[in-house]
Amino acid sequence: MIRISNLDYSANTLQILENINLEISDGEFTAIIGPNGAGKTTLIKLLLGFLPIQSGSIEIDGIPHLDWLKTNPIGYLPQHEEFDRRFPAKAIDIVLIGLAGSVPPGRRFSTAQREKARQALETTKTENLAGKNIGSLSGGELQRVFLARALVSESKYLILDEPEASLDQPGVQNFFALLKELNQAGKTIITISHDLNTLTEYCSFLVCLNRHLHCHTKTDLVNSEIIHKTFGEAVRIIEKGY
Amino acid sequence: MRFFPFLIQAVLAAVLSSLSLSLFSPFVTLRRISYMGEALSHIAFAGIAIALLWGLNLQLTTLVVVVAVSLAVSWLARRFKLGEGNSLTIFLSVSMALGIILVSLRKGYSFDLASYLFGNVLLISKAELWELGFLCLLNLAFIAGFYKELFYLSYNAEMAQFYRIPAIRVNRLFMILLALNIVINLRAAGIILVSAQLILPAAAAFNLVGRLDRAVICSALFAVVSALAGFALSWWLDLPTGASIVLLEFMLFLASLAGSRVLRTKT
Repeated sequence: MIRISNLDYSANTLQILENINLEISDGEFTAIIGPNGAGKTTLIKLLLGFLPIQSGSIEIDGIPHLDWLKTNPIGYLPQHEEFDRRFPAKAIDIVLIGLAGSVPPGRRFSTAQREKARQALETTKTENLAGKNIGSLSGGELQRVFLARALVSESKYLILDEPEASLDQPGVQNFFALLKELNQAGKTIITISHDLNTLTEYCSFLVCLNRHLHCHTKTDLVNSEIIHKTFGEAVRIIEKGY
Repeated sequence: MRFFPFLIQAVLAAVLSSLSLSLFSPFVTLRRISYMGEALSHIAFAGIAIALLWGLNLQLTTLVVVVAVSLAVSWLARRFKLGEGNSLTIFLSVSMALGIILVSLRKGYSFDLASYLFGNVLLISKAELWELGFLCLLNLAFIAGFYKELFYLSYNAEMAQFYRIPAIRVNRLFMILLALNIVINLRAAGIILVSAQLILPAAAAFNLVGRLDRAVICSALFAVVSALAGFALSWWLDLPTGASIVLLEFMLFLASLAGSRVLRTKT
C-alpha cells in the first residue's frame, strides 16, 4: 500500500502540490488525471524519490518511501526518456537496466537474468525486438521495451507517466489492455493519463489532481462535476456513445 | 636503420599516450562531454604554472588543480544553476589567464611552453613512460570493472541512478580518471591536442561498429595505428609528432565515414 500524508511541494515560490492525502491499496489500477501543471508528474517524482520531500510524508508498505526504494525495485515508465538515438544498445540491454542494480560492479548479467529480460519482452509482446538497436524502434515499440524494463525486476508496483503520449489510438487501447492484464495478474499500477475514455474503461481508481486533490475514488463514481472541479469549466464532457 | 633506445622510448610513449586516451574516448564521445577534455586540459595550464612558480611537483600539482577545479565547476553549476558548459568555459579562460600571468612572474626562467601546448614524445623520460603504461592498465581495469555501470551511465545517468546503479560514484571516479589521463598525457600529447585524441578514435570507431565493447577495441586499434604511423611520418619528414598523430587519426575518421556509407549500402 502507498500512503501519502499532508504532502506539500513548491518550486521557486510556486505552490505545486498542497496538502495531498492519499492511499492507494495493493492491486488497484489507479489513474491520476488533471490539467497541465496540476502537479501530476511532481507527485510521481516525489513518490519515486527523484525530488526531495519538503513537507509531509510518503510511505510504501508502511516504510518511509526512500528507505523502501533503497532495498526494493519499482517499475517506472517515464513520460520522456532522454537518450541518443544512435546509442549502441539493443532492446534487451535496455531491459537489463532493470536488473543492473542487483549485479555488483565487475560482474556480468547471468544467463538466468538474460532469460528474465527475454521473458519481460515476451510479456510486452516485443521478444522479436530483443536484438534490435534501440534507435531503429518506433515510438510504440520503444514504449513496450521500456515497459518490459519496468517489469523485469518483478516489483509489485508499476508507475507510468503518460504512457499514451507516443502512441496512436489503437496503440493506446492495446497498451492499456496489456496493463489491465498485468493488473489482473497482481500488479498495483499507477498511471498519469489524459485519456479519460480509456481510463474509465481500464482503471479501477481515479485520482483527480489540480494542486489540491479533488477526488480519489472508484472510477465509476467519477461524474462531470468532479471533472469540472479538476479541469475547470472550460472542459466539455462528451458522454460515451456520442 | 639503427634504432636508438631513446627512439624506442619515444615510439612507446606515442603508442601508450594515444592508447590511454583512446580507451576513454568511446565514453567521452557517447556522453557528449568532449568539451570536458578540452576544458580540463586548459585548466591544467594553471596547475603547471603554479608548480613552476613555487617549485612543486608538476604532475601532482596539476592533478590537484584540475580535480579541484572540475569539482568546483560541478558544485557551482549545481549551486547557482549556471550550466556546466558555461562554468567550464569561464574556468578554462580564467585558468589560461592565471597560467600566463604566473609564468610571466617567473622572470629569467626558461620555460618550454610549446612542449606543453603541443606535446613532445621525444622529451618523455623513463619514469613518465612507466606512468603512461600504468595509466593504460588503470584505464583497462576501470573499464573492465565498471563496464556495465559506464554503459548505463552513458545511456542515461538519471535512469541508471534510479535503477540503483551507483552512477554518481562511478561518474566521480570517471571524472577523476579523466583528469588523471589529461594530466599524465600533457607532456606527450599537449594541452591543445590532447582533447583531439580523446574524441577522434571513438568517433571513427562508432562509424564502423554498433556495439560499445567493439568500439573500445576499435578505438584502441585506431589510436595505436595512428601513433605508429604518425611517429614514423614525423621522424622521416621531420614534423611535430603529436600533430602528425592527430592528423592521421583525422584521416582514419574520414575513412571511417566512407566505410560507414559502404556498410549502410550493403545492409
